[in-house]
Amino acid sequence: MLLFRSEDHVHRWCLANDVPRRPLVSLEQLWGLALAWYENRLTEESRRPGPDEMGEIFGRLGLEDPFWQVRE
Amino acid sequence: MEFDVRVKLTIYGTIADTGRAPTAADVAATLESSLGAVREAFQRLARKRLLVLEPDTFEIRMAPPFSAVPTPFAVEAGGKSYFANCVWDSLGVAAALHRDIDVSTRCGCCGEAMALAVRHGAPVPTYGIAHFAVPAAHWWDDIVYT
Repeated sequence: MLLFRSEDHVHRWCLANDVPRRPLVSLEQLWGLALAWYENRLTEESRRPGPDEMGEIFGRLGLEDPFWQVRE
Repeated sequence: MEFDVRVKLTIYGTIADTGRAPTAADVAATLESSLGAVREAFQRLARKRLLVLEPDTFEIRMAPPFSAVPTPFAVEAGGKSYFANCVWDSLGVAAALHRDIDVSTRCGCCGEAMALAVRHGAPVPTYGIAHFAVPAAHWWDDIVYT
């Protein structure tokens, strides 16, 4: 998961690396993911979200493309 | 407290305090446990996807959001230095530590230096956009690449 200056730079990187262009994620969405995954990571009860929770988190953050469907 | 939880808290506490991941031997010494018992706990935590282990030494490669090895995502928080695994995890360091952070990284395309920051529980608005090359269902097929 990389950071790019702009959508144009994502496009160039995908072409150069023969990678399909995927849905883009804003910094605000990324912060939402960071909180959901890691806010309690240093605590006794911390754990990674399960597939259903991940789906709920993605939906709440507006990440609803099939790209975000979880099959673990 | 369950042994695996004590191992997990020792790992994350050490990283938060020092910026470095402990070895299995370090954790065994801290917990006054056997090295074998700690290695088994590392494996169980890895199966829960709370750790990623080196394939040859079985030491910690990732304790997400932290990386045990240098990466292009350098994070400063509270006068300490950390490495994160990816841009998501770089913000994850702020979420995990509940601290302001500064991230030094580079554009994935052109290599231009870029900076991110979190202040008072929110990212400072800046330019930049993240791109995930691997669909969510396949993140753990090769988590180091992801």
